[in-house]
Amino acid sequence: MSVEGAWGSLVLAALEGREGLEGALTGTGGAAPKAVAARPSPAPAGAFLHSIAVEGFRGIGPARTLALRPGPGLTLVVGRNGSGKSSFAEALEVLLTGDSLRWSERAAVWREGWRNLHHSATSVTATFLVEGQSGPCVVSRGWEPDAALEAGAASAQLPGQATADLTSLGWTSALRTHRPFLSYNELGSLLDEGPSKLYDALSSILGLEDLVLAQGALQEARRSREKALKDATDARGRLLERLIGTDDPRAQQVTKAIEGKEWDLAAVDEVLAGAAEPGVAAAEIDVLRGVAALEPPAPERVAAAVAEIRAAAVGLREAQGTAAARSRDAAALLDLALRFHTAHGDGDCPVCGSSKALNKAWGTRQRDAVVRLREAAHEADAAHGRAEAARRLWEDLVPLKGDGLRRAAEVGLELGELVDALGTWVKAGAISSLDELADHLAAASGPLGKAIVRLRDSARAELGRKEDVWRPVATEAAAWLASAREAMQGAGDLKRLKAAEAWLKKAAAGIRDDRFAPIAEKAASIWEHLRQQSHVELGRIQLTGEGTRRRVALDVTVDGIAGAALGVMSQGELHSLALSLFVPRATLPESPFRFIVIDDPVQSMDPARVDGLARVLEAASTDRQVVVFTHDDRLPEAVRRLDVAAEIVEVARREASVVDLRQALDPVGRYLEDALAVAGTADLPSPAAARVVPGLCRLAVEAVCMDVARRRRLGRGEPYAEVERTLGAAQGSLPLLALALFDDAARVKEVLPRVQRDSGPEMAETLRQLGDSAGGVDAERAVDLVRRTSRLAAWLRGLT
Amino acid sequence: MTREESRPRDLLALARELLRRADPLTAGLWPRVSALLALRAVETSVSRLWDQRALPLQSCPMRVQLICLRSYLDDGVLVARAAHAWSALNRACHHHPYELAPTAAELESWFLVVDELTAKLA
Repeated sequence: MSVEGAWGSLVLAALEGREGLEGALTGTGGAAPKAVAARPSPAPAGAFLHSIAVEGFRGIGPARTLALRPGPGLTLVVGRNGSGKSSFAEALEVLLTGDSLRWSERAAVWREGWRNLHHSATSVTATFLVEGQSGPCVVSRGWEPDAALEAGAASAQLPGQATADLTSLGWTSALRTHRPFLSYNELGSLLDEGPSKLYDALSSILGLEDLVLAQGALQEARRSREKALKDATDARGRLLERLIGTDDPRAQQVTKAIEGKEWDLAAVDEVLAGAAEPGVAAAEIDVLRGVAALEPPAPERVAAAVAEIRAAAVGLREAQGTAAARSRDAAALLDLALRFHTAHGDGDCPVCGSSKALNKAWGTRQRDAVVRLREAAHEADAAHGRAEAARRLWEDLVPLKGDGLRRAAEVGLELGELVDALGTWVKAGAISSLDELADHLAAASGPLGKAIVRLRDSARAELGRKEDVWRPVATEAAAWLASAREAMQGAGDLKRLKAAEAWLKKAAAGIRDDRFAPIAEKAASIWEHLRQQSHVELGRIQLTGEGTRRRVALDVTVDGIAGAALGVMSQGELHSLALSLFVPRATLPESPFRFIVIDDPVQSMDPARVDGLARVLEAASTDRQVVVFTHDDRLPEAVRRLDVAAEIVEVARREASVVDLRQALDPVGRYLEDALAVAGTADLPSPAAARVVPGLCRLAVEAVCMDVARRRRLGRGEPYAEVERTLGAAQGSLPLLALALFDDAARVKEVLPRVQRDSGPEMAETLRQLGDSAGGVDAERAVDLVRRTSRLAAWLRGLT
Repeated sequence: MTREESRPRDLLALARELLRRADPLTAGLWPRVSALLALRAVETSVSRLWDQRALPLQSCPMRVQLICLRSYLDDGVLVARAAHAWSALNRACHHHPYELAPTAAELESWFLVVDELTAKLA
């Protein structure tokens, strides 16, 4: 396996989490890594807000419902401070995230005052239109009269299904990562809470949790190994001190094994197991052990030997002087003579001198005689053999030989007594008489045995003394050995772990930058709209650093001077910046929320920046439902002035928290208002009236038809993109009317008859006039046409 | 308004001149004066269109004229922006309590819209 492959597999294992990584490191996790969970699909079922009903919460007393136009578009909810408008925004947030910790961190003043004083029952209900769900999803949260804010009971009901808890919506993590709410407080705190909080808020949308977890697993694996190694090294120092102070050869051996840079753990193991290789120091223990195991000559063995020697002596005496002994001697003598004859040939007898006594015949004769004599001598030979064997019996009774004595002397054992006893004992070798030998052995064995026992006991005592010193050290060394083994094994992984960590860090940063780039780009372009005359320029926005040093790096320049801090920005600029970062985050395609709710973004903004805000909101509302709560009329004014399509709802709070909601103006109303302004102008030239007024009325009718069609189709769960495609394809008033009336843009021919039948001839006539661009509407009748168009629009709006 | 009156382009040039030149005589006055000049430039160029079309809309309120302009110009976005610039300039020409005079950059951004409109209508 190449080095790269070695750590590459670690990265894969780390993606499986801590256990997977440890498994790969120890080689127990053989299974192929499972595929890393893919990011959530880019377009989950989108949800639009349909209504928010609030009762007894904050500034709202009796139940009030804020009805919203589901689908993309901008809605401004305008009301004075204290009118209850923010209560709707907060109620929606509490409804969806009421269990979250965020609320418990709110100031006590807020927490104690969340119930409405004028109304005892408290509940919040919101309805959503969700792609793929035919009918509104109802989400509600209710509180018992004395329940705390967190104690509300929440439920969600998808159309045609039983009521379930909030998690059935599948929004739990999206509410955190793509928070569709932004309040004035948050605008301020987003940048105040510190760079790491902002980092978390932005990075959570990038879907990098897997990588972060994997990095964490690698880091933890590395740290635990580094710590084990450091601990083992520290413990080694302590152990060495202990070993050096220990008077034991094994201590020296262990010291030798681990004092160097490389630890010889196998040698330590051997020493501890008592199987140290023969060496000067270890031999001492071996010698002592050997001596300690000595046994004195067993008395029964000595007795047996003595008895045998005596028996052999008796046997020998009996054989002597018998014919057998004589035959043996004669055979030996003849043997010698025959060897003489063989060597020197025929001749005179060298013993008696008889001439020519040694010859061939003599030889033959005497050979036969030797055979006969030997047979006769056998008994005597046996007695002799037994005597010779008995003569050596003492040698086997000696338990310690020369070498052993020398080694025992070297380890410092007192040998004097044993040497004396042995000196006496070995004299046996010089005794020729078997009887004497037997006596000698019987006498000398006692002192020898005593000397051996004494030597053995002193060796045992010495061994015990050494063990008492060594055992605790050995225990300590054994404990260290175990941890050192583990540490060394871990140290072997460190290099791979570090490589894996470094690679993943780099890769994660790359992925993070890639995924963040579009958000940063969008934020920068929003800032361009919002900054207006601000001298503060916003360059690159980057997520940098990690761990406790993670932060959002904002490349801010003031009047071209780089490196400026956020401190130079005004409150309004900071709010704008926060908004620039929030809008891209909340409008990512992977968010299930097709709506964003912004509470009071206008506060502390310069008038010019409000224009920019209106443009930003307009851009966001092309594919998102943007609901903005605002306390002053600067934003509605800018929206009207800039001709931004928006619906405006006014909130007023009467006595006792009775909140009134009034539809102030929507795009349909705007067209009609413009048309009326033109139609009502004195001295209006008829050609202009004929051209302008019906056109504006047509636009009003088309807008209302689009609303009707959009609401209906989104309401039955049609995907948002498809709805917009259908609406985009229906060009002109008649196809749009057909879409509103029959849900089919192709049925244009049936539009007029249907209007005539259901709404009356006057409305049909109005429709005809709107379609007639050749004139026919003069200045006098223009006002009437606008009035009738208003009625037509109201009728169309009532269609389901 | 008669033909002898300045052309829209000249009015706008004068407004810019005021914006750029530091003159003790116009100190403090220039934002409102240049706004007024630009405002007249919009009104004059729209008025010329009605002249050409022989539509006597000049006496109608400017808001109505701008609404009608949508029907006579094929660039709805430009008309909307021009309407915004006109209302902003108009606002700057009148005194509003608690509201400060527009900045040079604000004025310049509106002038750019007026430029586009006069070019389109010329």
